[in-house]
Amino acid sequence: MRTLGLDDVTFWYPATANPALENITLDVGPGDIVALVGRGGAGASTLLLVAAGLAPRVTGGRLAGTVSRGARAGIVLPTPWTQLSGMAFTVWDEVAFGPANLGWPGHAISRHVDHALERLEIAPLASRDPASLSGGELQRVIIAGILAMDPDLVLLDEPTAELDPEGARAVWRLVRSLAGEGKAVLLATSDVDALPDVADRIVWLEQGSVRAMGEPSLLAEDALCEAGLGTTVAGLWRAAALPAPYPLTVVDAVQRWR
Amino acid sequence: MSALHPFSLLAIAAALPAFAWILPAPGGGLATATLALALALVPDVRAGARVVRVAVLTAAPFWLFLLLLHDLPTTVAMGLRITTMVASFVWLVAALPPDRLVEAMVARGWSLTLAYLFAATLSAVPVLKARAQRIVEAQRCRGLSPRGSVANRLRALRALALPLVLSALHEVDERAFALETRGMGSGVHRTPLAAPPDRPLERAARWALLLLCLAAVIWRLA
Amino acid sequence: MALSRALAFDGVGFSYGNVAALSDVSFEVAAGERVALLGRNGAGKSTIVRLVTGLVHPDPGSVWIGDWDTADLAPEDLARRVGSVFQHADQQLFARTLREDVGFGPRALGFPAREVRRRTDEALDALDLHAHAEQHPYDLSPALRKVGALAGALALEPSLLILDEPTAGLDRAWRARVADALREHAERGAALLVVTHDLTFAAETLERGIVLDRGRLACDEPLERLLTSAERLKPLGLVPPPIAALSVALDLPGRPVRERDAAHTLARVAGGRSAS
Repeated sequence: MRTLGLDDVTFWYPATANPALENITLDVGPGDIVALVGRGGAGASTLLLVAAGLAPRVTGGRLAGTVSRGARAGIVLPTPWTQLSGMAFTVWDEVAFGPANLGWPGHAISRHVDHALERLEIAPLASRDPASLSGGELQRVIIAGILAMDPDLVLLDEPTAELDPEGARAVWRLVRSLAGEGKAVLLATSDVDALPDVADRIVWLEQGSVRAMGEPSLLAEDALCEAGLGTTVAGLWRAAALPAPYPLTVVDAVQRWR
Repeated sequence: MSALHPFSLLAIAAALPAFAWILPAPGGGLATATLALALALVPDVRAGARVVRVAVLTAAPFWLFLLLLHDLPTTVAMGLRITTMVASFVWLVAALPPDRLVEAMVARGWSLTLAYLFAATLSAVPVLKARAQRIVEAQRCRGLSPRGSVANRLRALRALALPLVLSALHEVDERAFALETRGMGSGVHRTPLAAPPDRPLERAARWALLLLCLAAVIWRLA
Repeated sequence: MALSRALAFDGVGFSYGNVAALSDVSFEVAAGERVALLGRNGAGKSTIVRLVTGLVHPDPGSVWIGDWDTADLAPEDLARRVGSVFQHADQQLFARTLREDVGFGPRALGFPAREVRRRTDEALDALDLHAHAEQHPYDLSPALRKVGALAGALALEPSLLILDEPTAGLDRAWRARVADALREHAERGAALLVVTHDLTFAAETLERGIVLDRGRLACDEPLERLLTSAERLKPLGLVPPPIAALSVALDLPGRPVRERDAAHTLARVAGGRSAS
């Protein structure tokens, strides 16, 4: 049973000869956390837009292959300030924007919004003007706005970009709890070191195609480390010319050492 | 002002410029411009004074151009009309929170996209202002001096205006994605979060205003 | 250009309205020193950046850029000594080509054309941007625009370079290039003050850490010592970066925090263990 299925998907942006995504086949099921890693421009953001149903519908361009989505998707983009509705004067209204657009009755909206505010630990900000928030607070408001719509597929593009380390840790905890509730999560991040404790599966994108896919141990593989995409610990082991397989995390390394 | 229904505020902001253009100059223009500027001061004089200042400063360049191009009577006539338009718009931005407008439109059953168009125009102002501030700061830290000769100031304006426009345009795509993913354009009827109350008296007053405008047009044409 | 004391904060306090953002902050940065400015969001780091660039003035206390007191100077004056890159610098570019934008600073400061050209070329060189020099900034990715903004600051050839999250959104290759350019700049005598959450980058590129906590100076010490001390970092909302954490967990001699040092030590110790 899959929440999202991409079958041999190739996507071209409008008026571009080279596809941004090539022959992508990927499934994400309920409770899965799949992480996309790759160099800048490898296609992770585009893939998320396709998964969200925004490409090619809103972006234009051409799509070959099939995208099957069993449920409602919500996407959080890396630039929080561009995602404000522009129609809400308070954080509460901002988070309620999505549910209201879905035509839910007032009490359902209240319930979902209050719950989302609590989960993102921003209930104290409920009556603040979104325009007055810091980047980190804004990012949490946007995530809350998407969660309030109760999507079954949550798409996150660099969710920790604007956050400090504590904020980042809170987001990773949230991601795990979302999967625990049965939501499917597909995310792109450059914070590779966080992934071994968060992701179930890693997808390595290079120039629009899947170069490799597998469990988080992929992040300690030679080819990935060579490309600068492995975890710091794996990279260090490799730099020390110690034998493979390289440890993923500090905990792994300590175990290996003993 | 905040007690009035958003549509009433819109009606006033539309009616004043309409009258400015319909009624004979310069009396008509003077009356409406004065009214528009006075409106800003109604609830809160200090905040109102800021609104008046913005309106006057925005209208000033137009007066300058008019003076260069036309004789004095035409300048005054057109200047007052333009001032009315500017003052009405500035007042509207200050007096009407975009979300109340959207809720009012939605409660009335209007298309959400149309509502957004209005709301985005109104709310763009503080967002752009904040960004403009940041860009000016960044450029100053690169050595750009906003003081000095006209050539200097023009260069400074370019270093502010271009990145502002470019970055705003560049983000249009992302804004479209964000709105889509949050259900806009889904075709579903949006739940109004807090529809502002609309009193029958206000409704009647708006119609009256419209009829008055039409009457004025007919009177002018006759 | 190199002054012995590049930056000094002397009893600096600053409030936004009634809210105190900084209290009694004092520290000095010498020419060629590379300092990381760390702390939670809201701890006061951005306020320090605004004080250094002259966008706001300290009250009480004073901020010195070399022998200049910022109290009497505007940001455009301080640009002769301070090169800054703010967060979201990718939004400040506007010229027709990247090259032209990088040259904006030197031109604004009034340098002759030849000098502007030299500085622009060197800055583009330092960050390996020649391939993109003739492109319009908005044809480049946000990451490249960000690096372009850094090139613009380097072109000012400042005695103090202050950067706010310079590696956010950059992949590892670009982070390495930025690290190299900054180290090079510091070797020529410039002082570096970098606000960052990326402690790995800090460990690789910088040598001293100043940590702010609720507007006050909580720590000011060598990064090597700070990053390996989890008990001190935790109450400040920070966590040792992977290499430092590994150093401590494996009890590596010298507690290296940089990849190269740690790799050498690791290899040596591993070699020693397998031999015994």
